Amino acid sequence: MAARYETALIRLIIIALLFGAWEFAPRADLVNARLLPPASEVFTVFFGLIQDPGFHGHLATTLQQTLTAFLIAVPVGALLGILIAENRFAGEVFKPLVFFVFSIPKSIFLPMFILAFGISFWQKVAFGVFSTIFIVMMTAFAAVASVRSDHIRVARSYGANLRQIIARVYLPSMTPVLLEAVRLAMIFNFTGILLAEMYASRAGVGNLIGTWGRGFQIPQIMAGIVTVAGLSILFNELVRWFERRCEHWRGDR
Amino acid sequence: MRLDATTVRRLLIVLLIVAWEVLPQAGLVPRLFLPPVSATVAALWGSAPEYAYHLWVTLQEVAISMLFACVGGVAAGLVIGNSVRLRQLLLPLASAGFAIPLVILYPLFTAWFGIGPESKIVFASVYGFLPTLLGTAAGVQTIDRHLVTVARSLGASRFQQITRVFLPAAIPTVLSSLRIGGALVIVGVTVAEMLTSTAGIGFLISRYRTLLDSPHVFAAILLVLAMAIAFDWLVQLIERRVAGWQRAIRTEQAPAAAYS
Amino acid sequence: MNKDVSGTIQVEGVSHTFVSNGEKTHALDNVSFEVPKNRFVSIVGPSGCGKSSLLMMLAGLQTPDEGRIICEGKKITRPDPQRIGVVFQEASLFPWLTAEKNVEFPLSLRGVKPAVRHDRAREALALVGLEGFGSRYPHELSGGMKQRVSIARGLVQDPPILMMDEPFAALDEQTRTVMGDELLRIWEQTRKTILFVTHSLGEAVYLADQVLVMSARPGRIIDRIDVDLPRPRRFEMMSTQPFMELRERIWRQIRH
Ligand SMILES: Nc1ncnc2c1ncn2[C@@H]1O[C@H](COP(=O)(O)OP(=O)(O)O)[C@@H](O)[C@H]1O
Ligand SMILES: [Mg+2]
Repeated sequence: MAARYETALIRLIIIALLFGAWEFAPRADLVNARLLPPASEVFTVFFGLIQDPGFHGHLATTLQQTLTAFLIAVPVGALLGILIAENRFAGEVFKPLVFFVFSIPKSIFLPMFILAFGISFWQKVAFGVFSTIFIVMMTAFAAVASVRSDHIRVARSYGANLRQIIARVYLPSMTPVLLEAVRLAMIFNFTGILLAEMYASRAGVGNLIGTWGRGFQIPQIMAGIVTVAGLSILFNELVRWFERRCEHWRGDR
Repeated sequence: MRLDATTVRRLLIVLLIVAWEVLPQAGLVPRLFLPPVSATVAALWGSAPEYAYHLWVTLQEVAISMLFACVGGVAAGLVIGNSVRLRQLLLPLASAGFAIPLVILYPLFTAWFGIGPESKIVFASVYGFLPTLLGTAAGVQTIDRHLVTVARSLGASRFQQITRVFLPAAIPTVLSSLRIGGALVIVGVTVAEMLTSTAGIGFLISRYRTLLDSPHVFAAILLVLAMAIAFDWLVQLIERRVAGWQRAIRTEQAPAAAYS
Repeated sequence: MNKDVSGTIQVEGVSHTFVSNGEKTHALDNVSFEVPKNRFVSIVGPSGCGKSSLLMMLAGLQTPDEGRIICEGKKITRPDPQRIGVVFQEASLFPWLTAEKNVEFPLSLRGVKPAVRHDRAREALALVGLEGFGSRYPHELSGGMKQRVSIARGLVQDPPILMMDEPFAALDEQTRTVMGDELLRIWEQTRKTILFVTHSLGEAVYLADQVLVMSARPGRIIDRIDVDLPRPRRFEMMSTQPFMELRERIWRQIRH
C-alpha cells in the first residue's frame, strides 16, 4: 500500500518537473518563447477560454457531434458484433472482412463524406460512426469469445433458463470487454470528429484549433490542446475507474 | 448445395466490386460519393506520373517517420516493460496519453516546423510512437522469465542472457507492435498531408476534393490503402519467417485470444 | 587431499529465508547431506517445502543465506554447466530453436565450433532416444520428447552430475513410467551422479539408491532411506512387499 502511494508521488513529481521545464525553459530563453510559450501563459489563455461564451459554443458543437456518433456507433456496433460472433457461419463469413476493414486507415475516406453530405453536422457524425464502429465490432467479437462455453454448460446443467444464462453468465463475462469497447470507441470517435472539424467545418473545437494553427496563435493552440487532452483523459479515467470497480466479478481473470 | 464460408465471402467481395461499378452508373448512389471502378481506374491511369511523384514524396516521409516511431517505440517499450519500477511509474501515464486525440497536435507542429515534410514526419512519428511503446512493453511482460533462469543454469553470461534469450523471445512482440505502429505512421503522414501540405498523396486527395473530382480522390485513397496493405503483408511475411514458432504456440494454445 | 572427489556433492548446513515485499518465507532450515559418486538420490517432500529452492542453490542459481554447497570439492558460487547439468520441470526449451539447436545451446555459449557442436548434439539426442528428431521445433514434440531434449541438453557437455527438478511432473502416468526407465538406462550407460527431486513417492523409491525425505516448510531432511531393491528395477517391483514398505515409511513421515 505504502509502495503504491510512493509510486503515485513519484509520478506526480515527474509531471510537476515536466510542467516546471515547460515554464522555465522559455523564460530562461533556452527555447524561443514565441514557439513555446511558458506554461503559465498557456494556462492564462486556457482559463480565459473556458469562461468565453464563444468557446462554449464551439465546445458544445464538438461534444454534440461526438456524443451523437458515440450513441449510434456503440450500440449498433456491439449488436452487430455480437450477432456476427454468435452465429458460427456469419462469423466465418464476416469476421475476416471486419478484421480487414478495421486494419485499414479510415481517415483518408473523410473527403468522400464531404462529397456525399456536404460540410454538415451529419457529415461529421457519419464520419465519427465510420471511424468507430469497426473497433466496437472487434471488441464485441472478443466479448463473445470471453464467454466460456464450459460456464454456459455448467449453468445449463443446473437448469438455468435463457434469461438466467444471459443475466448470470453472458453479462458478467462480457461487461469488462464491453467497457473496454466504450473506452476505445470514445477515443476513436473523438479523434474522428476533431479531424473532420479541422479538415473542413465552420464550428467546433477542431475548427478553432485549425484556424489558430494557420494564424500561428501558439498560446491559443496549446490552450486548445490542453482542453481536449483534459476532456479525453477525464473520460478515459472515468471508464477505467468503473472497469476496476467491476473487476471483482471477473474472478479468475 | 451448401456453400462454405470462404466461398460466400469471396462471392460477397465480388458482389461489392460489381455494386461499386453498377450502383453509381445506375445513379442509385451519387457518383460524387462513390465513383464507379472504371472511372477510378481511368483516373489513376490517366494521371499516373502525377500519382507516382506524390506517392514517392509520401513514401519518403513514411520511411523516416517509421524509423523514429518504431525504433524509438520498441526501444522504449523494451526498457520500460522490463523494469517493474518504470512500468508502474510510466505505463499509466502512457496509456492516459493514448486516450488523447493526437490529431490536434498537428496545427502546433505546422506552426513549429512549417508545412513541409518536417511537420508530417514529426506528427507521424508521435502518432506511431505510443502504441508501439505500449505494445512492446505489454509483450515483454509475457516473455517467459523461466527461460532466462534456464539459460543462466546453462552458463549464459548477462550479455548472452539478453542477446540469446531475451531478444529472440521478444521478436514476435516487437513485430506485432511494428505492425500497429507502422500502420499508424502511414495514417499519420497521409492525414497530415490532407490537412496542410504542398505535396504527397494526402495533398492530392484534398486538392481533388476541392475540385469535386471524386474519381481522382478515390484513386488516391486506393493508393494509400494499397500502401497500408502492402506494409501489413510485408510484416506478416517477416513474422512467418522469423517467428513461426510463436504463431504455432499461439494457435495451439488459445485460438480465442486472437483479438486481444 | 588426493581423495577422488569427482561426481560428489556435499551440502553443509544450508538455511535460507526469502524476503519479498517485506514478507519472510523460511524455506530451508539447516539442510545437510552428502551424495557419493555415481549414486542416484531422490529428494521427496510436500509441495512448497523448498525442494526447488535447494536445487536452485545446488545449480548455483541462488546463494543460500547460510551454509555451503560443495561439488567435486569446490564451493558452488555460480552455474557451472560443465560439472552440473540441470533439468527443470517445465519444458524449458527455447521455442525458437530446433531440438538440436536447443541441445547445442550450452556449447554455443562457450563458443564451441559448429561442427563439433553438431556432432555432440546428435550424440546426446541419440542417447535419449531422439535420433532423427533434431530438426523439429519444441511445439512439434510431445511432452515426453521435450523432456528428453531437456535431458540431452543437460548431458551434452558430459557433466559428472545431473540435477533434475520434478522433470516428469507434467507428463501423464504412462509416459512418466517410460521416462523413468529411460532415465535409469541413461544413468547406467553414463554413470552420472543424479539428484532427482520429485513429489511422487513411488517414483522416488523406484529410481533411487537413496531417498532423502524433507519436512514441510521450513524444509529439513527428516529421513534418509537406503533403497536396497535389486537393479535393474522393473515395473513389477512396485507391487512387491519391500517396495510398499519403503513407500509407506516415507508416507508416514510426510503426512504429519
Ligand atoms: N524467489 C522467491 N521469493 C520468495 N519466496 C520464494 C521464492 N522462491 C520460493 N519461495 C517460497 O519458498 C517456498 C519453497 O518453494 P519451492 O522451493 O519452490 O518449493 P517446492 O519446490 O518444494 O515445491 C515456497 O513457500 C515459495 O513460495
Ligand atoms: Mg518445486
